[in-house]
Amino acid sequence: MVFPDGIPAFEQETRFLALRQPINEPLVFLQSVANPNLCFATLPALSACPGYQLNMAPEDLDALGLGTGRQPSIGRDVLCLAILSFEENAPPTANLQAPIVVNVHTLRGRQAIQTDSPYSYREVLPLREAACS
Amino acid sequence: MLVMRRRAGESILIGEDIEIQIIHIGESRIKIGITAPKSIPVTMKEVKLVAQENLAAAQLRSVAALRNLLDRLSEGPAGGEK
Repeated sequence: MVFPDGIPAFEQETRFLALRQPINEPLVFLQSVANPNLCFATLPALSACPGYQLNMAPEDLDALGLGTGRQPSIGRDVLCLAILSFEENAPPTANLQAPIVVNVHTLRGRQAIQTDSPYSYREVLPLREAACS
Repeated sequence: MLVMRRRAGESILIGEDIEIQIIHIGESRIKIGITAPKSIPVTMKEVKLVAQENLAAAQLRSVAALRNLLDRLSEGPAGGEK
């Protein structure tokens, strides 16, 4: 997948692979092609939040070659991944306000910063209680 | 903070080289044109916030943390209910 502008803080990283392994379902790893040390753990936005809806800015839609008249359909038009953050002593969070969006037809991608979004950069994931050990 | 009142079509100058023009005032947002030297990056503030989030997310994480997350995610790739 090609990210012509990279993503914020990693503007030079323009090519990523989306890696999925059955054992790690539903996680998707975003691995930089140029930098072996750069790999993001992500979740499909719909896995992180069922019913998730995009609200992309016209500039982002345009940059991905998507029509600006409507929001793209997740799955049919675009792949939509939320980058996960793991901080110590805090629950893992997903960036649902600025998801990675990839045009499935052109494999061109971009991190879409949504200013009008009901979601946050650190959306706490709906998790079951940890199993008793 | 300096506060100015401007109408559509009017501009603000910052120093010699930076001009900020109010292009259009809509109901809930305004359109702004910015002229600045190439050496001065102009971005939405949100880009900086997202950059910080991305830097934090790129930090090495333990396999245990990932395993724990997977164990606790609700069943099925499109799950989410308990």
